Amino acid sequence: MHAKERSLEGLKELLVPFIYHTIMKQDNKTSMISKVLQQALRSFVDILPMLIATIGLVGLIQAYMSPEMLHAFFQGNILSDTLIGTISGGVAVGQPIISYIIGGELLHEGVSYYAVTAFILSWVTLGLIQLPFEASTLGLRFTLVRNLLAFAFAVIIALAVGLTLRVLA
Amino acid sequence: MNTKKKTNRFSYIFLALTLALYLFVAFTSPDKAILALGKSMQILQQVVPILVIVLLLTALMNILIKPQTISKYLGNSSGIKGWFIALFGGVISHGSSYIWYPVLQDFRLHGARNGLIIAFLYARAIKLPWLPMMISYFGWGFTLVLTVYILIGAFIQGLISDGILSRNEALVPEDH
Repeated sequence: MHAKERSLEGLKELLVPFIYHTIMKQDNKTSMISKVLQQALRSFVDILPMLIATIGLVGLIQAYMSPEMLHAFFQGNILSDTLIGTISGGVAVGQPIISYIIGGELLHEGVSYYAVTAFILSWVTLGLIQLPFEASTLGLRFTLVRNLLAFAFAVIIALAVGLTLRVLA
Repeated sequence: MNTKKKTNRFSYIFLALTLALYLFVAFTSPDKAILALGKSMQILQQVVPILVIVLLLTALMNILIKPQTISKYLGNSSGIKGWFIALFGGVISHGSSYIWYPVLQDFRLHGARNGLIIAFLYARAIKLPWLPMMISYFGWGFTLVLTVYILIGAFIQGLISDGILSRNEALVPEDH
């Protein structure tokens, strides 16, 4: 079993008994169960179209984007490579492990730590494909502020990590 | 038309556009469409079970936890405790970010600060289950330095967004 699957199993093992015991502790269990199920079902139906669309787009991008396509973007300049790393990580989608594999390959082929850090960081903090879903759930202004900050901080943290590693080396 | 209806309409338009894109890919390069569909199904299989549990938990919390409680722990006067809950919660939370959006919106509607929600989302960049993998690819030094900077970055972003976003921001997407 992969680490990810194990952690999800662990989460289920933790949450399912918690939900069950919390409901069982209530005096009016039947009405509580019905209320919880109704509300959860309503939320599920509400987010389902956007969720399916988002996951569908993620699948399409994964089918079209290869590590070779990414490597062709990097030119060797720290600042522009960091920006390119941030943008390509923000557009790309998938499990974090994929960003580590691609990042490891890029590093091996001579791309700087600055660019690779920006790439793996924006991979998990930015989500161009998820933007419509995020905006529809959390609001457009919140989504814009969060993503702009995440973009800026991917660049800042990448530069800080690169400089720190250089000092420590 | 109220905001919720507009949001639902937008969701269906977005879904229709995605389906249209799939149809286009299916006609131009069928093997890519099948590959994309297979990858989407894999993700869906991973996401749905955990999403169902998270939504049940949200519904339960919605019924049991009073808005004053959320406001106390994640609201304006939550102090250091609020920051700790947001950062620690972000680090230990699992699954894709979008699974957490409905829960977080619920917290906001019940008085949680925008800054803490943004700090939570950024702290999720630390993926505990994947740390051994990151260490094996990039080494201890890189992983440790990056983890510390992510936590500092999450905290600073929370502070900045608290200054930018108003307290009523949460009321925008839904008519509550």
